[in-house]
Amino acid sequence: MKKSILVALFAALCFNINLAHADINAAGAEDFVKKMTDEGIEDIINTNVSKAEKQSRFKKLFNDALDLDFIGKYVLGRYWKTATPEQRSDFINTYRELNTKVWSERFDEFKGRSFQFKGTTPSNSSGQIFVNTIVPMEQGEPATVVWRVKQDGDNFKIVDIIIEKVSLTMANRNEYTAFIKNNGNSIDALIANLKTKLK
Amino acid sequence: MLNKLRLFTYLSAITMLSACATSKTSDNDSTLETYNRAVYNFNTQFNKYILKPAAQGYRKITNTYTRERVNNALANIKEPISAVNHLLQGEPVDSGKSIARFALNTTLGLAGTYDVAENGWNLEKNKTGFDDTLATWGVPDGPFFMLPFVGPSTPRAATGLLADSAVNPVYWTTIHDANVHDKIYYSYVAVNGIALYESKMDILDDLERNSVDFYSTMKSAYLQNRKGKSDDSDSISYDFEMEEDEED
Repeated sequence: MKKSILVALFAALCFNINLAHADINAAGAEDFVKKMTDEGIEDIINTNVSKAEKQSRFKKLFNDALDLDFIGKYVLGRYWKTATPEQRSDFINTYRELNTKVWSERFDEFKGRSFQFKGTTPSNSSGQIFVNTIVPMEQGEPATVVWRVKQDGDNFKIVDIIIEKVSLTMANRNEYTAFIKNNGNSIDALIANLKTKLK
Repeated sequence: MLNKLRLFTYLSAITMLSACATSKTSDNDSTLETYNRAVYNFNTQFNKYILKPAAQGYRKITNTYTRERVNNALANIKEPISAVNHLLQGEPVDSGKSIARFALNTTLGLAGTYDVAENGWNLEKNKTGFDDTLATWGVPDGPFFMLPFVGPSTPRAATGLLADSAVNPVYWTTIHDANVHDKIYYSYVAVNGIALYESKMDILDDLERNSVDFYSTMKSAYLQNRKGKSDDSDSISYDFEMEEDEED
């Protein structure tokens, strides 16, 4: 009897895990990241256009590829629940602007480099998958960059970038929730501080 | 003086952790956090006024090629640490490779400035230390804490650092003469610190500039990276729950 219950539980567990993975198009997710990185390197980094044009192209690519609403909601952690609609909207917009600015500056670091694709790894989160890449560096070991991709119908969006095992979304979440906690639980204080970094 | 400084660094950390171990969990977190942020502030000032200017000066007077040679030589000095720890981890083949790398790079690689072992003999670098050995033996990591001058650490990482420094050839080849030891070993520690900071300076500046709480960012990145070292195909550290209806 006990054995049959265990078997049933195991089967249910496997079924749930399979359900979480079954709806993911792994090849599609990898192609999506490949297309995004190729486009970024060829049409933005390695092309001869003005800085303003580069920033404009990057902004479009970045906002098309990343689900910044989803990420923004996640990084605010438990404070998302207590935030007013105005605060939520203000935070998401500021977070979007800041990330676009920061990553447009960082993206030039990839000049002359290329991403090598190393397959995908399933995620325990429903409708999500990890696309594994490495970036050869000038010195030492290549850097590992993993893209967490969320599939919605036929569309894919990046919801996290993991560099050398460090999730940037989780790092942001830890940083922002600590800041809010240390500033009288004020979400407005966080938004105000983030806005100073846009200047 | 420097011996005392190093001793103070470790003692302050151990004293702090011992104090925390006897207090309640909630007090523990807040006491450790207060201590960590105080040491973080001290390290920030130390980096700002001493380490960073030294690293900037080092970058100004050297080119990428020279710095690569220096980094290779510094990495080569640490090969015996890997050799000993591979052995302690039950990996005699890897230990042998580290010894071969050290012998080849020290001689044919001109004091380790060129990695001829990897390029000519296909002996790839496989760095490890006593921290990894303790992890292999099942020793838990313990809480995050900041070490003065060193930065982010855990009790296991700090123990590993201390043990590795005793195995470092620069340490044990000079230990017989206190005067020579202090001059050579601490010059080595200074060069190592400056070279390491120089190699991470741009990314540290970038992260600090765009962070609202750099201490929390650094802590999160450090702990995530450490946790990720024990990843395997069944367990991925960064596969935390991230669902559409995420509220907490």
